[in-house]
Amino acid sequence: MSNKLYIFLLTGCLLFTAGQAAAQSQSDMRINEILVYNTDDYEDDYGHKHGWIELFNTSRGTVDIGGCYVSNDRNNLKKYRIPKGDVLTKIKPRQHIVLWADNMPLRGTFHVNFTLTETDALYLISSNGRDIIDSLHFPTGAGPYPVMDYIADNNGNQVVIKGNIPSYPIDNVSYGRLMDGEQTGGDNGWAFLVKTTPSSNNVILDSEAAAQRFLTFDPYGVIMAITAMSVVFVALILLYVVFKNIGRASINSGRRKAEKAGVAPDVVAVAQDAPGEVYAAVAAALYLYIQQEEAHDIENTILTINKVTRTYSPWSSKIYGLREIPHK
Amino acid sequence: MENQGFISFLWDNLQQFFGYTAFASFTFGHMIMIIVGLIFLYLAITKDWEPMLLVPIGFGIIIGNIPFLEGLSIGVYEEGSVMNILYQGVRLGFYPPLIFLGIGAMTDFSALISNPKLMLIGAAAQFGIFGAYGLALFFGFPANEAGAIGIIGGADGPTAIFLSGRLAPDLLGAIAVSAYSYMALVPVIQPPIMRWFTTKKERLIRMKPPRVVSQREKIFFPIVGFLLTAFLVPSGIPLLGMLFFGNLLKECGVTRRLAETARGPLIDIVTILIGITVGASTQADKFLQWNSIKIFILGALSFMIATTAGVLFVKFFNLFLKEGNKINPLIGNAGVSAVPDSARVSNNVGLEYDKTNYLLMHAMGPNVAGVIGSAVAAGILLGFLS
Repeated sequence: MSNKLYIFLLTGCLLFTAGQAAAQSQSDMRINEILVYNTDDYEDDYGHKHGWIELFNTSRGTVDIGGCYVSNDRNNLKKYRIPKGDVLTKIKPRQHIVLWADNMPLRGTFHVNFTLTETDALYLISSNGRDIIDSLHFPTGAGPYPVMDYIADNNGNQVVIKGNIPSYPIDNVSYGRLMDGEQTGGDNGWAFLVKTTPSSNNVILDSEAAAQRFLTFDPYGVIMAITAMSVVFVALILLYVVFKNIGRASINSGRRKAEKAGVAPDVVAVAQDAPGEVYAAVAAALYLYIQQEEAHDIENTILTINKVTRTYSPWSSKIYGLREIPHK
Repeated sequence: MENQGFISFLWDNLQQFFGYTAFASFTFGHMIMIIVGLIFLYLAITKDWEPMLLVPIGFGIIIGNIPFLEGLSIGVYEEGSVMNILYQGVRLGFYPPLIFLGIGAMTDFSALISNPKLMLIGAAAQFGIFGAYGLALFFGFPANEAGAIGIIGGADGPTAIFLSGRLAPDLLGAIAVSAYSYMALVPVIQPPIMRWFTTKKERLIRMKPPRVVSQREKIFFPIVGFLLTAFLVPSGIPLLGMLFFGNLLKECGVTRRLAETARGPLIDIVTILIGITVGASTQADKFLQWNSIKIFILGALSFMIATTAGVLFVKFFNLFLKEGNKINPLIGNAGVSAVPDSARVSNNVGLEYDKTNYLLMHAMGPNVAGVIGSAVAAGILLGFLS
């Protein structure tokens, strides 16, 4: 294969990977919570209450949603384009952003040109205008619908029902994921939430919960010791097995090469076995000598002559540094 | 009258100046910590105990315990101060992976590759970590703090700093000083345990000389080693990744300059910064607490448990090995990752019983396996407890 073909393939792979990476980051966004009727809830910068849509960045990297589309119409996925170039469209890792569903796009980047009362659907579309990153069909009409909460306690997290609502949409009750960005519990991860949490986690887990929970189940550290030691052993046994086989293959390969070259196998074995011991003896002898003699190469005016090697580098080459004498 | 006014003015100013000096707020705690710092310097300079670590830490302890008026952006815990900016490498945990990069670039894994069963000794010695974890729970520490204390048993300063910075930042100073102190005391702590648990016959076991390892195997090791361990414990990636990357720089043969930088100037710079800032973080008011004393006791116990586990594991392992392939249990102590001190201890104790039985090369196997094992163990603790 020619060099040009290699370069072409490599460039193609890089472009493909770059494209995937860009798509990958926007595809980490999720519709996380919505509020259809807002009469006594979160206010926008103008002091008005409207329905809102919360998006959540599930990734560990910043995602720019500028250029993405939001729509409530399957036949018109490009209904509202989130403007590019606004620094606020760069969503930090595991953070939220609220879009106002007030049909007032002139009020700013995050005010979309529809309301949530028009349909029961919502779409988040990637910047190419085709790929649906996330979609939602929220329940409407007569209920009753259970209102749920996600409880984090020492016995493990659990979803509990905290009453019902007769129908939906209903004032100031949001529909959201029980766990931010995830599909655990409820209706594919979604439920009517006991409280609205715009621009905030739908469930707040105590950072010490993991350690505390572990302590509840393992007060003496026995389970930890057994589990962790097993993992450490598995990791090093894996390495042992792999390198035992690599070592064997290497020895066999060495023997085959030696046989081809006409060297007797026992000579090879001696050549391979000897140096380790020799090195150890030499190293230990040197170490003891240095310790006993306290040999220095500076303080005791002993001159040490080291070979100074200069590796070639075009930066220091005179060939490239000198200018050619101009021809007459 | 005017004269009296001037003297009064001068006296007030002198009093004000005295208020700014360290003498004004000097306490008994500061004095104790400064003495501790001086002891560290003494041990490092006259006894040559881990001077690269104890000199920066010892002087750091003295820096951190000169009292000052707060609000002048001087102290290590005051936002915006120079020491605080340098301390971010400890607090945010980016110094330890850089040190691991240097360790990887200076470590020769040949002994381990030539005799891979020695890796299991490195795994067994990690029991010190989890033994100390259980003891710390017994002493009443919460699980996250117990995990951070337990890692002292890994005998690996950067790993201890990395983990405690994440699991128990308030205990970081005590844990780091304890880990480095006991690492320096490896030649004192380990030999009695090694003698206690071995017979004379076992101490005289001669091991097969390690075979020559090909360049290809040495290049495979960091790549395969990283893939296997990181897939199993992704939370250990910062440490394992840098360790194996550093080793690849050393072994691949085409990045000599990068390897030299990693194992030379880079690790030296980071060692200076980590030592001085960890030392400075031991301000008397934060360090002189009952918990710190408990941590020191647990640290000593963890080293003892790790050494015992390593030695006993070799004895157990020998039950399954044929005559001629047996391992000298004196290298069991080297499973704790205090590189290369614990391997030197194996060699020196071995030479006490047989002047021609050099165990250094053999002990380096479990020694470097211990580095990998403690990084894996740190990843597990981080995964479970954070």
